[in-house]
Amino acid sequence: MARKSSPARLVIALSVAAVLAIFLLYTSLAGGGTPSVSPRELPGKTGEVALAGRVVGTPTGDPHGAGMQFVVQDIDGANKHRVTVLYKGSVPDMFRPGRDVVVTGTQHANGVFLTKPGSMITKCPSKYQAADTPG
Amino acid sequence: MLAAALVVAAVVAVALPFLREPAPASDALHELDPAERRLLEAEEERDRALAALQELEADHRAGRISDEDYRAVVGSLRRDAAEALRTLDRLGADAATVRTSPLRAGTSDAEAKID
Amino acid sequence: MAELGRAALLVTLGLSAYALAGGGFAAWKGRRRLAQSARNALIASFFSTLVAAVVLVVGFLRDDFSLAYVAGHSSKALPTQYKLSAFWGGQEGSLLLWLLVLTGYAALAVWLARKRARDLVVWVTPVLAGIALGFTWLLVAVSSPFDVIPAPADGAGLNPSLQNPYMVVHPVALYLGYVGLAVPFAFAMGALLSRRIDERWIVTTRRWTIVAWTALGIGQLLGAHWAYQEVGWGGYYAWDPVENAALMPWLAATAFLHSVMIQEKRGMLRVWNVTLVSLAFCLSLFGTFLTRSGVVTSIHSFTKSSIGPWFLGFIVVAVVFAVGMIWLRLPQLRTTAKLESLVSREAAFLYNNLLLVALCLTILWGTAWPMVSEAVRGETMVVGRPYFDFFLRVFGLPLLLLMGIGPLVAWRRASLKGLLKTFAWPAGVALATGVILIAFGAGSSIPGLVAYSFSAFVLATIVHEFARGTAARRALTGEPVPTAFAQLIGRNRRRYGGYVVHAAIVLLAIGIVGSSAYDSVTEGRLAKGQSLAVGGYKVTYRSLGEREGPNATEVRAVLGVRRGGKDLGTVEAGKNAYSVEQQVSNEVGIRTDYLTGEDLFVIAEQVNDDGTVFFRVFTKPLVNLIWLAGLVFLLGSVITLWPDAREERRLATRYATARERSDSPATT
Repeated sequence: MARKSSPARLVIALSVAAVLAIFLLYTSLAGGGTPSVSPRELPGKTGEVALAGRVVGTPTGDPHGAGMQFVVQDIDGANKHRVTVLYKGSVPDMFRPGRDVVVTGTQHANGVFLTKPGSMITKCPSKYQAADTPG
Repeated sequence: MLAAALVVAAVVAVALPFLREPAPASDALHELDPAERRLLEAEEERDRALAALQELEADHRAGRISDEDYRAVVGSLRRDAAEALRTLDRLGADAATVRTSPLRAGTSDAEAKID
Repeated sequence: MAELGRAALLVTLGLSAYALAGGGFAAWKGRRRLAQSARNALIASFFSTLVAAVVLVVGFLRDDFSLAYVAGHSSKALPTQYKLSAFWGGQEGSLLLWLLVLTGYAALAVWLARKRARDLVVWVTPVLAGIALGFTWLLVAVSSPFDVIPAPADGAGLNPSLQNPYMVVHPVALYLGYVGLAVPFAFAMGALLSRRIDERWIVTTRRWTIVAWTALGIGQLLGAHWAYQEVGWGGYYAWDPVENAALMPWLAATAFLHSVMIQEKRGMLRVWNVTLVSLAFCLSLFGTFLTRSGVVTSIHSFTKSSIGPWFLGFIVVAVVFAVGMIWLRLPQLRTTAKLESLVSREAAFLYNNLLLVALCLTILWGTAWPMVSEAVRGETMVVGRPYFDFFLRVFGLPLLLLMGIGPLVAWRRASLKGLLKTFAWPAGVALATGVILIAFGAGSSIPGLVAYSFSAFVLATIVHEFARGTAARRALTGEPVPTAFAQLIGRNRRRYGGYVVHAAIVLLAIGIVGSSAYDSVTEGRLAKGQSLAVGGYKVTYRSLGEREGPNATEVRAVLGVRRGGKDLGTVEAGKNAYSVEQQVSNEVGIRTDYLTGEDLFVIAEQVNDDGTVFFRVFTKPLVNLIWLAGLVFLLGSVITLWPDAREERRLATRYATARERSDSPATT
């Protein structure tokens, strides 16, 4: 019962098409991700963004209570902009003034950046090389 | 200094083959000629065909394959194996050396001397 | 000392350049002595790299802070084992480790293969040398571990999150894996360069691939365990780019491991195999690039360093080279063997490959999307967990099912009747399991329920296979059950070792599903005496204490654990404050129930001045199956790797007959 041509090509083509279809369907429904912005890029952005900046000043408040308030500043470039962030949720160990963080949330009308609870990620600071974690 | 010793060792390692055989009879790297390549591929084909048969028998004995399925496939597998063996015989007859041990042993001795 | 280190790396640079140029020329023109010389150079490059590595190790052990790298990653107070692991605690050192493993593997590979397949191995040397050259260049010119500074009184210390036993093993295991993929890649390229289409390169590198793949898998599990126990955010995998960086080559390597079996049995998929191994290797280069260059936002990422562009260039060269070679040899690689039926073991392996590669590529897309979107749209978009979780389910669940189907489907073509007969019983088990689990409340997560049922299916097929094989052997030899069982495995190491590995993956799946689809979490601020209820447990905050550790102040809250009225003891959670490094680390409390594999996971998120503590408590059902799976995985790999004398003899005869021997002066 020999087949005239191999069904392999057809199967592969269909499978690849199926995978692409699932992929495109998902991304069109769920969106292409969250934009990552720095404080200077924040004004005018509506919707949920991931704000990346360096913590400056002293944080106040209780992240597990009414919320911790702190200020983030542009990491590089001259003319650094600042944004006040109100954060609730778990605070990673590395969080402190001078460290870079990423928080996801939206810009509120009064200028404060309200975050999704628990969305903070910290990056290790540049001059503290020992903070590098291995691959 | 250690660094100098390292450099010297590196140079020696690299020069070694040339130092050991300043004027060899042949400096040619043996590459498989087309006949040898075909022989090799034929051997692989034979091994594949025989292994497929063996696996079919084992699967059948172990009950993984039913009598019906076994009967459906065994014929074509046997044909493939016979074909592979025929091809190998044909190519093997062309090749100068096959399995004569003395020649192979001689080759290994020569190998050992070179390395 | 630094000069010795620098000199050693320069020697490596020279040797690998020579091995590349000389080896390439020798292969092209067929010069025996030059080929041997290039091989010697490659082997020697390992020793010179070793010297450089030893210099760095000595620098750490001697607290030589004149070395900038040592000063930046170590301190006088650092315990010795962490001084050693600080070697790979930063970029320069980990590049040196990469190079050390690479030259070590390369030396071993060309040494072991020196008497075989001369025409193939002669091309392997320059390919491996080229890779070594790339990394040595980075170490010499761009990112040197031997930069010297005026020695400070004490070093900056090692990041406290790296001061644990995992730091000693996890990176090494990963590197043994990442770098190990270079060997099958080099042999594949060697085969293409020497115009050989036979499976010699696969046969020679089969064990290399399995070792690298196993190391990469174990390395990832170690990383997951580290994240779980030490970093303590409550999980073990965050789809962080650096985690994905190790997962992607592992997935590609898994696909490769399976598809080479098809080439072995049917002579098909030659082009696909070469493509897959190239993909796996390029992904491991990409993974190293992601981790080292800081291009993607990640908690693991480093400063955007200067090696990024070099690495990217390196990857481009590797990709172009691989694609070019495959393209050139395409006509010769095509085979006549065809897929006869969509329902056959070949087809099952094909589906397995498609799913694995699809998963790998979607993870790649999601991981690289920030870079791509920044380059294309000027806006950096970040992809979150839901994306990865979705595709893990879409591709992972069918893969799970296939693990049970593939090994039992006949080669070439399977009849429907045969299929029904083979799978009736395991399917029944799966269905029954599903129904029972629904009764236990597993219906709260449909993907979880499906995963459990599929897992039951696969485990049923594996048990059935072992039982049937042992029975067949006993029928043949009359041996007692344990002997028959051992002999069965001993005579079919690849098959039954593979089954053990599949069982490990199933355990992994069950552990992952249990701890993510069926977990519970509660949080709240507690004063002494107050408690939280979560997943059947009652956790009561009892006391708070402080003690001085070797290099940190340790604050611990003690909590009492009860379940169903029974006292289960205490668990401690808190924080460590490191004096030198000026950092605080989370120390979670985990109570493991060894009977059910469930963990009670306590994080003391915030210790307040008034003695109250904000706790976050999880229950993670079945999570310990994940770690158990690692052990089973290792066992299965060892079984498949075990040398088989009969197989060796068969292969030796085959290659001797084809006169694949040395270029003895006696010939021609």
